[in-house]
Amino acid sequence: MIRLPAPKPEVMARRPQILAGLAALVPADALITEELRLRPYETDGLAAYRQMPLAVVLPRTTEEVAAVLRFCHQQGVRVIPRGAGTSLSGGALPLADAVVVGLMRMNHILDINFEDRYAVVEAGVTNIGITQAVAGDGFFYAPDPSSQLACMIGGNVMMNSGGAHCLKYGVTANNLLGVKFVTIEGEIFEVGGTHLDGAGYDWLGLITGSEGQLGMVTEVTVRILRGPEGARAMLAAFSSIPIAGQAVDAIIGSGIIPVALEFMDRPCIHACEAFAHAGYPLDAEAMLIIEVEGSVAEQDALLARIRDICAQFSPISMKVAESAEQSLAIWKGRKGAFGAVGRISPDYLCMDGTIPTGELPFVLGRITQMSEQYGLGVANVFHAGDGNLHPLIMFDANDPASFAKAEAFGADILKLCVEVGGCLTGEHGVGVEKRDLMTVQFTADELDLQRAIKSAFDPAWLLNPAKVFPLEGNKVLDAA
Amino acid sequence: MQTNFTPEQLQDPELKVANGILRTCVHCGFCTATCPTFVELGDELDSPRGRIYLIKDMLESGRPASELEARHIDRCLSCLSCMTTCPSGVNYMHLVDHARRHVEETYTRPLPERALRSVLAMLLPHPGRFRWAMRLAKLGKPLRGLIPGQGTTAKRLRAMLELAPEHIPAPQPVTGTHPAEGARRGRVAMLAGCAQQVLDPEINAATIRLLTRMGYEVVVPPAAGCCGALTHHMGRHDPAMATARANILAWDAEIAAGGLDGIIVNASGCGTTVKDYGFMFRNEPEAEAAARVSALAMDITEALARFDYTPSRTAPPFTVAYHSACSLQHGQKITALPKQLLAKAGFVVKEPAEGHLCCGSAGTYNMMQPEISAKLKARKLANIRRTGAAVVAAGNIGCLTQIGAGGPPTVHTVQLLDWMAGGPKPKAIEGL
Amino acid sequence: MIAPETEQGVAEAIRAAHDARQPLAIEGAGSKRGMLRPVRAAETLTTRALTGITLYKPAELVISARAGTPIAEIEAALAEKGQQIISEPPSPLGVGGATLGGIAATNLSGPRRIAWGSMRDHMLGIRAVKGDGEVFRSGGRVLKNVTGLDLCKLLSGSHGTLGVLTEITFKVLPAAEATGTLAVSVPDVAAGVRALSAGLGSPFGVSGAALLPGGLASLGLAGPVALLRIEDFAESVTYRKGRLREVLAPYGDVSLVEGAAARSLWRGVRDVTFLDAAPDEAVWRLSVAPSAAAAVCAALPGAKLMLDWGGGLIWVAGEASEAMHAAVVAATGPGSFTLFRAPDALRGAVAVMPAEPAPLAAISARVKALLDPAGILNPGRMGR
Ligand code: SF4
Ligand code: SF4
Repeated sequence: MIRLPAPKPEVMARRPQILAGLAALVPADALITEELRLRPYETDGLAAYRQMPLAVVLPRTTEEVAAVLRFCHQQGVRVIPRGAGTSLSGGALPLADAVVVGLMRMNHILDINFEDRYAVVEAGVTNIGITQAVAGDGFFYAPDPSSQLACMIGGNVMMNSGGAHCLKYGVTANNLLGVKFVTIEGEIFEVGGTHLDGAGYDWLGLITGSEGQLGMVTEVTVRILRGPEGARAMLAAFSSIPIAGQAVDAIIGSGIIPVALEFMDRPCIHACEAFAHAGYPLDAEAMLIIEVEGSVAEQDALLARIRDICAQFSPISMKVAESAEQSLAIWKGRKGAFGAVGRISPDYLCMDGTIPTGELPFVLGRITQMSEQYGLGVANVFHAGDGNLHPLIMFDANDPASFAKAEAFGADILKLCVEVGGCLTGEHGVGVEKRDLMTVQFTADELDLQRAIKSAFDPAWLLNPAKVFPLEGNKVLDAA
Repeated sequence: MQTNFTPEQLQDPELKVANGILRTCVHCGFCTATCPTFVELGDELDSPRGRIYLIKDMLESGRPASELEARHIDRCLSCLSCMTTCPSGVNYMHLVDHARRHVEETYTRPLPERALRSVLAMLLPHPGRFRWAMRLAKLGKPLRGLIPGQGTTAKRLRAMLELAPEHIPAPQPVTGTHPAEGARRGRVAMLAGCAQQVLDPEINAATIRLLTRMGYEVVVPPAAGCCGALTHHMGRHDPAMATARANILAWDAEIAAGGLDGIIVNASGCGTTVKDYGFMFRNEPEAEAAARVSALAMDITEALARFDYTPSRTAPPFTVAYHSACSLQHGQKITALPKQLLAKAGFVVKEPAEGHLCCGSAGTYNMMQPEISAKLKARKLANIRRTGAAVVAAGNIGCLTQIGAGGPPTVHTVQLLDWMAGGPKPKAIEGL
Repeated sequence: MIAPETEQGVAEAIRAAHDARQPLAIEGAGSKRGMLRPVRAAETLTTRALTGITLYKPAELVISARAGTPIAEIEAALAEKGQQIISEPPSPLGVGGATLGGIAATNLSGPRRIAWGSMRDHMLGIRAVKGDGEVFRSGGRVLKNVTGLDLCKLLSGSHGTLGVLTEITFKVLPAAEATGTLAVSVPDVAAGVRALSAGLGSPFGVSGAALLPGGLASLGLAGPVALLRIEDFAESVTYRKGRLREVLAPYGDVSLVEGAAARSLWRGVRDVTFLDAAPDEAVWRLSVAPSAAAAVCAALPGAKLMLDWGGGLIWVAGEASEAMHAAVVAATGPGSFTLFRAPDALRGAVAVMPAEPAPLAAISARVKALLDPAGILNPGRMGR
């Protein structure tokens, strides 16, 4: 189980006063303090880790957020920012002496501008909510994490979320124009705006992916893009994982950048098919979902090129979606993959390392070996085009030994990713889950530098502490 | 997700099922965003995932439910949108049914609420009593502004009066056997329902007309009545089981007597429950009969598609907004069929945005949770208006009443289909 | 001038300067020496001797090179494998020779930025030396990486004031098989921006959208002309040119530009040579919402103008005076501006870029003190 910093006794002792102080800042229905009602806030998308918070606040305005942060700063109370609570790295895991500030009620779309191609939305608008708001005019918001149905743009900014289509369209950082930022002192300011690449330090780039370490974001200005004329997905099934990996290399090597290039192995194919009924090949060891865009003729031309390439790897089957519904079903299966694995295993840990794509066959082979060593099943689904792996380690949370093994297995996979030249996390963030592995990727000095940058924003380490950086060697938290 | 039941607790077959459901939930949170109450209230506690967590905590501890648990579980519409979204296949319906029963059995609600719930449970399942109450309510409606106070009870009473129709149609009894017209192609039973009979007897009439015209004999056994959904969703286990049992026995007798090609339900809220009889009675002596009944249960649109519905008239050129009742789209996973049938009948069919969100009717919800219900209704009406459609079709009486008050005229899908196949033009759209 | 050939050499030079409290001007090839404020330093540290491609994996779409490697050298190596730098790095005002480090530290991008992102968007990893001589890394060599705080972004566009980049890893893409350009004669800037917006708002994948208010003599077009580019597979380019032409027709006469003419056209846009700035004129680079462009231009009568990025990037050339500067700043409104080139007297006297809001400026000062404790890296360059 993960170690959390000891609650500050002076904060715990003053709980009644702190709650009264918060109550004065927000309407009654925006403050949750009863133990029973705090319970569902003790965890997020990584349910293996749990911790009850001191209180939960659900502000409706930036001013309320600022007032709460200012108050917490004055009182030395820690703050855990929360969006939809879909983090797979425990990014919203509370601390016993911390106030959770949830942005779910800030879910309004403030402005849409098609001529300048941007939308201004509150942080609690769901990722898909942005696309839905502009889809009628043919536009979309490009980053599409699997949880896009539920995850919120504020969380996307904080985790720099990716998605299936980022091979072409980039991740959150590449699709932002500006944010409204609130510091722990309760200061509000805009970073960026409605223009591209302003002069000065790239604070927007630093804030994106900062996992709530630097401040909170309450409004986001995103770029919206005009969608292609159409898009079509095809499935290609192969008899082994390495062969599918070779097909991926060959496609990219040919100069084609499909908008999406996704990989699934046998266990995943079966789980997802049970959920989405998309016609996935149940007899395959590995399957690729390859999507191309453009007019029907353009799609045909590209798909023909891709089929020719895949054909060199003796595919078991190839199938092109025949309708928009079929494409949707194919994607429904892929996007529901994590949850769908819940059908075959009560619990799973979802890893998120990235590796150089050339290492795919080697790394997947090693994962299979480890799976046998640990005696735990693993289902693989990932973004093949960019080497972002998502091995889902299946375990039984009601069995502590099984969980410990799963954690060790996961750590081994991530170490392997770093060893072959990759990184610990491609899109889910470090959170609490991978915090202690940071030393595998960074030197002590490098970690200290990052910590010092956090300190420049949040000297007392009140914002989402105990995440991202290992507790060991953490001068501020140790002192606290 | 991890659970913490003791081995003793897991001896209880009901808890065992609940544990199985909880274990399937991986806490991914996908379901939150498609939950109407989360969208409106923005609190994890009013989301499916939050409710699942609350229920888990409540059942694990074995403690009686408190006001807080009752509050958040009561706010659930049982719309089952979460089940459509859930990639992991969590059976939220069975879990929340279990939880409602636990609340009902272990928590004592404040007196006015208890009284209100008892009255509803007494009235709604019985068409005779319900009609009588509606007459009274109609008389009381102009006085609703005089109910003082902003308390929950006052709001609920006002909401109830608000819902009373201006016009209470004359009853059209349907029990008995309705012979097929022409050559008999088959034989079906029809659930006559309870509240729907009172509010709009034309729906049953249209169903019988259409089916008999298509060559099906329709039987409505006198012993069958309310499906039990209303009381079931209030957590009132015993009365719900009693009414359901009556239906099972009545229909099973018909299966034995003359064979049935289907048990037709034209109120999708009831359909979801009838299809669940097999589960509800799994540990009862009637288990087998219940399973037989559930297997034969079908929504009227399923029946019409299977029996090859064909129109005989040319449809007028107006656009129909199809409102997908939650019990149909989420509960029974029937989404395309009704639209296909309406299109086959010749109508231009439009689907409002946010079609997955409940209209706020949800059985007795619009009376018990008037504020949330009103918000959802307003949201639904705005989306429907945006389609520009002249009429709204839906397959559930609750939705028809909820949307009909304030929106474009509403008709049951079967009424439009019957009209296009030779039946009369539905009264609600006479002026169109 | 100190020109180390190794990262260690850079580190040592900086440590020595740090210990001696001796300010350093940081540069690559020195092609952007005239940007922003004059640096207050007697000594210069250049990375131009720190060269060489250190890793190139075409199938993984990744390349790494030392900071002093000339952009031209990288482009040549990529071209051999049919690939290219995505952001189309410019040689602004025709001043060439830029190094990779210089382009990264200034985050300057060419026309393709509007569709495919800026230099900063594709930086995957860096090695750099802080102002106390310590080396650090951020990011890595894989396409997706959210591990830890993203210092690549912080250092991109920091003009050497937060650290000296020594090696940069970035994403590359296959060069398009074919390209096509449409030129639209428009009545004025406002109409031109609308034409560009229509193109960028079409599903046809416009990858360049510029506006030349002064026309294009080579095509015999005297009035404002909007330029739109498509890059893709050959079949797609043919098809999309046709469809885009339909989209643009309502905005003015559309003509096609092909081959070498088109390439030189986009080079002119990329390198801002169409601005035609006189040597004694000051040059500003503005970034605004495209729909604001027409008003910005109208507020600067007499200035020379060139627009890119759908109208959102405005290059302005005009009299090198404080009055003109004030006019440009006022015209920019909520957008962002950079005094890109000016005589020392002017650029030493005025704000060369917008000030940060006060609470951010405080944070900014703390971060600067952290990365450059003695304040020796390019002092003055960004205005402090
Ligand atoms: S049944 Fe409906 S209201 Fe209840 S939790 Fe599920 S989605 Fe929400
Ligand atoms: S979508 Fe399903 S698995 Fe995910 S939290 Fe909701 S009920 Fe649980």
